Amino acid sequence: MTPALKLTGLAKSFPVGKRLFGPPRAVVRAVQPVTLTVERGETLGIVGESGCGKSTLARMLVGLLEPSEGRIEIEGAPLDTADPAAFGRKIQYVFQDPVSSLNPRKTIRQIMEAPRRHLHGLGRAARAARIAEIFAAVNLREDFLDRYPHEFSGGQAQRIGIARALAADARILILDEPVSALDVSVQAQVLNLLADLKAEFGLTYLFISHDLAVVEAVSDRVAVLYFGAVVEVGPADRVFARPRHPYTRLLAESAPVVGRALTAPEAPETELPDPLNPPSGCAFRARCPRATAECGTVPPPLERQEDGVWLACYNPLPPTPPAEA
Amino acid sequence: MSFLRLLARNRLALAGLVVMAAVVVLALITPLLPLADPDVTNTADRFERPFGAAGLLGTDHLGRDLLSRLLHGTRLSLAVGFAAALIAATIGAAIGIVAGYYGGRIDNVIMRGVDMLMAFPYILLALAIVAALGPGLMNALIAVAAVNIPFFARNIRGVTVSIANREFVDAARLSGMGDARIILTEVLPNVIPVIVIAMSTTVGWMILETAGLSFLGLGSQPPQADLGSMLGEARSALISNPHTSIVPGAMILVIVMAINLLGDGVRDALDPRLKSGALSRPMPTTLVRRETPPPAPAADDAVLEIAGLKTEFHVRDRVYRAVGGVDLSLKPGECLGIIGESGSGKSVTALSVMGLVASPPGVITGGRVQFDGQDLIGAPYEVLRRMRGDRVAYIFQDPLSTLHPLYTVGAQLVEAVRAHHPTPRAEARAHAIELLRAVRIPNAESRIDSYPHELSGGMRQRVGIAMALANDPEVIIADEPTTALDVTVQAQILSLLDDLRRERGLAIVFITHDFGVVAQLCDRVAVMYAGRIVEAGPAAAILTAPAHPYTARLMACVPELGGGRRHLAAIPGLPPAVDRLPAGCAFAERCDKAQAACRQGDIPLVAHGPGRSVRCIAPEPAPEPAPDTVTEAAE
Amino acid sequence: MAGYIFKRLVSAIPVLLGISVIVFLIMAMIPGDPATAILGSYATPENVEKLNRDLGLDKPLVQRYFIWLGNMLQGDFGRSFSLNRPVLDEVLERFGATLVLAGTAFVLCSLLGVAAGVVSAARQYGAADKAITFFVLLGISIPSFFLGMMMILIFAVKLRWFPVSGMWPIYGARDISALVGHLTLPALALAVVATGVIARLSRSAMLEVLRQDFIRTARAKGVRERAVVWRHALRAAMVGIIPVLGIQAGFVLSGAVYIEMVFQWPGVGRMLVDAILKRDILLVQGGVVFVAACYVMFNIAVDVAQTLLDPRIKT
Repeated sequence: MTPALKLTGLAKSFPVGKRLFGPPRAVVRAVQPVTLTVERGETLGIVGESGCGKSTLARMLVGLLEPSEGRIEIEGAPLDTADPAAFGRKIQYVFQDPVSSLNPRKTIRQIMEAPRRHLHGLGRAARAARIAEIFAAVNLREDFLDRYPHEFSGGQAQRIGIARALAADARILILDEPVSALDVSVQAQVLNLLADLKAEFGLTYLFISHDLAVVEAVSDRVAVLYFGAVVEVGPADRVFARPRHPYTRLLAESAPVVGRALTAPEAPETELPDPLNPPSGCAFRARCPRATAECGTVPPPLERQEDGVWLACYNPLPPTPPAEA
Repeated sequence: MSFLRLLARNRLALAGLVVMAAVVVLALITPLLPLADPDVTNTADRFERPFGAAGLLGTDHLGRDLLSRLLHGTRLSLAVGFAAALIAATIGAAIGIVAGYYGGRIDNVIMRGVDMLMAFPYILLALAIVAALGPGLMNALIAVAAVNIPFFARNIRGVTVSIANREFVDAARLSGMGDARIILTEVLPNVIPVIVIAMSTTVGWMILETAGLSFLGLGSQPPQADLGSMLGEARSALISNPHTSIVPGAMILVIVMAINLLGDGVRDALDPRLKSGALSRPMPTTLVRRETPPPAPAADDAVLEIAGLKTEFHVRDRVYRAVGGVDLSLKPGECLGIIGESGSGKSVTALSVMGLVASPPGVITGGRVQFDGQDLIGAPYEVLRRMRGDRVAYIFQDPLSTLHPLYTVGAQLVEAVRAHHPTPRAEARAHAIELLRAVRIPNAESRIDSYPHELSGGMRQRVGIAMALANDPEVIIADEPTTALDVTVQAQILSLLDDLRRERGLAIVFITHDFGVVAQLCDRVAVMYAGRIVEAGPAAAILTAPAHPYTARLMACVPELGGGRRHLAAIPGLPPAVDRLPAGCAFAERCDKAQAACRQGDIPLVAHGPGRSVRCIAPEPAPEPAPDTVTEAAE
Repeated sequence: MAGYIFKRLVSAIPVLLGISVIVFLIMAMIPGDPATAILGSYATPENVEKLNRDLGLDKPLVQRYFIWLGNMLQGDFGRSFSLNRPVLDEVLERFGATLVLAGTAFVLCSLLGVAAGVVSAARQYGAADKAITFFVLLGISIPSFFLGMMMILIFAVKLRWFPVSGMWPIYGARDISALVGHLTLPALALAVVATGVIARLSRSAMLEVLRQDFIRTARAKGVRERAVVWRHALRAAMVGIIPVLGIQAGFVLSGAVYIEMVFQWPGVGRMLVDAILKRDILLVQGGVVFVAACYVMFNIAVDVAQTLLDPRIKT
């Protein structure tokens, strides 16, 4: 079966210090070439700290940013234009800030109708029927359609954002920190709704978040991003439980967990690398307790390990068997 | 129309509107009024005084009827001013929207051109245009409109850029909308209020400008006269016959003042920031209006005791009860966690202690904050100021916005010391370096001269902590100090705080929404919901066996790392709005154990096992108390 | 810093060229036969011939521009036919007088405006705030030329505190006290409008800043309220106020045109108006380019001041 989404060497660089004419002063690589596949019906979690390039990656996937290199294939068909409308029918985006993603001067109905009208050219009656269906699916009352965005709470607004993405009939959704602007008690409602919708509509998710626990709870597989590059990809239930990459372990140990004593996982002077002056070799080596001379040469490639995990590390942690087995 | 209602609420704007309406009506009906011809000269009756035989306002230097000339001049001035504003706004807005929406090179080229026009003192450009086209009212109009286009273009561009970067524009793109449609249906409706504001605040200015050109003799030409040229012609007789100058001058003043009042009103009614009264300045201390006498202090070993604290936000006619009667006590060397969702009142509780809740709109309406043998609620400003940062210090959430961007971290640390202890600068600086070392900032000697923007988020928060430690306070109140940080940085900061509190014996109030953080750092915890504490007690006990249904369900719905993929036990519904709190338990609406009694009357916080208390009539059963630890529940 | 100033000066070159192009193009808009149109009824055969020679009107537009620009760069702004003297000499002499007037007014309005704005914000809704708000409203609503005329009427004619007009006494010493006496009324009249605008902006900038988190931090440190307002808040607000001071300098310079007319001040504004009415195009052209160039330089100084104030701006 062809994967739902396949990225090959997808990369993005931003010019820094633009001039009116001539080349920019410097170039920052926000996303190093990324190669990933997402199977149909899968949820791939992407996790990383601020500045790791996860939002840049997400925006490239829906055509809001043109990639500098690489290609995107959806169900086997390449898409290499930066045309959101061409993307919109196949892949949709759910924004982090539910309130800012809804135009304050349009009714919910106008917002919901836009994808039906502009992507599918449907008539009024056909639009209304489908919108009613979708609204029922996200547990929203139909009379909400004639209200304005400011009348809704964050959780409701995020449901509307999800409903809008569904209205495009795309089968792949990019969820960019969809619950991080929401209160914890509302987060769970939205996460559960997303799980239900996935089953109901046969969707494929790319779930981006900085919250390890949330990613772990919703994903089949998880990719860990550091400084614009994928460092580890593996099944959700083992990436944080039994990390192989030293950075993944650092993340997992840093997350505050009830019942675990407080420890400083690393020395205080560690800092993120400077994007304008990237280090040679592995970007993590300055913070890495396992770094060797080899790490300073070329960045380690992302390679499949014998246990099925993909790793970009010269000195990974040894694979450990599951605790019970 | 909420806009008109808002406008009408502003009495000054209403006055402006009434005056303006009267002037406009007068100008419109001028040709119908039984007035003398404004241009017929009668030199025999020149410089007649007002209220005399020759009409209400007298005559000018050529014996023309001043009243008639005034009304005709007003007509002309208004028409030219409004036309200029409309032209400048339309063209300027179009340029600004195109530049702001497309960005990149288009924006760059357009804005360079605009900058070029703005490099002229505006009147030079107007004079050059009039010089080329020749004097005349039409040419003056063109000149005034032309020189104002860059101002509109720049203003509207800025707004458009911020709107074009909003996520709903991206969403529209993903919905298959093209650029033209996005500009017309997504961007323009959001820009129009700004255009209206810009126009309403510049119409008066345009009228002044055209009048000015006419005054110089470059606008309306004789015998036709707008208000400016009337004034210009009267100037030579200023000393001998001042009334011919005062009449048109006062008219301009009245018109422009009315327009400015109205324009300010329009701006205030359309600007969403002003609706909630957000543009008022917070006072140095929170307003205190206690409706009931404060409860008596409980004599115990607490270093800080909060009793019956009530803090409200009064916005217009609404009252938001952010904190609805909170009791807390903090023992020396203890770390007390306050946990809750946003809007639960945890931050407001913390800020109320030292009167730092922004006021307006915040008001402390009840309770006591007992510290150092006195009640701080309602204490004079100077008493609070002496304690702030010296004996009770704060650490805030976002270290980028909470440090002053224009002073070095050293200067800010030195200030924290010197605000309470007059120390020579060199000594204070040495102390600041020590503080930076204490929070484990590498190269403290050189980092002390860094500006906040030159440091990473984690380093900035270390500076925030150093500032709180500056005067060795007894209590530190940390308001979500790690929420804005990445998880690896958070771990560093938490372990730093833990070390410091053990080394220095600090008492900490730690506000967070993260159970993991509470578990790792805090001795005791208080759970807040809708402005009240629903459960309090030792952190370990509550986290292993929560007694209040809210605590239990909140913990269940937060995924915890290591649990693998799972369905989460969500809490249905939303927290109640604190301006419409239900009677009884605020959580009853969402609680699956709710009974009729939950919705009737106040439910007290009652003792529930050793050192624990809970605000629930059907809590989870308390664990068996060990015989020697049976004590009063947490106050 | 020196490198930054040099960079800013270099970046001013295209702006200055742009200004000269704009002025040149506007003057080229004059319809019909330029020489006759410019000279109008004053035209004498010699004048027409001379103007044609001066402007090089027989040559194509682009070539004419470069000739004009080249001459200007050598200090030759042409000759004013109405005054029969070199344009540059006249402009320089007049600009000195304008600088005295506008400079004084600018200093006055900057100090008064910022101070009034800070006080107004710090005592929001108090009596001082209300009084300042009223004067601000009056200031931005009154035409400066009308205000000037009323000041003459009251302070010069009725009270005889100050002379009615001019820059120097007709008889008597041209010393500082004579200048101050003549300068007071026009400088005040000129400053009023800009003071209003600056006070209003300073007030809203201060209100904006006073709500920021770092002000709460300063208060939480126990910093005295006076230092919170004047040190923490004003410093941050100045970042927004200084660019407006730069723009207001342009408005003061513009307002000077009216005030010079009202008070018979021998400045460049009055010269320009006279030149326009006499269709002395070379004098208008030269005056506009010269003053605009000075204003560009002033704005560079404002930018430099801004970078000194705000360490976040990369130099």
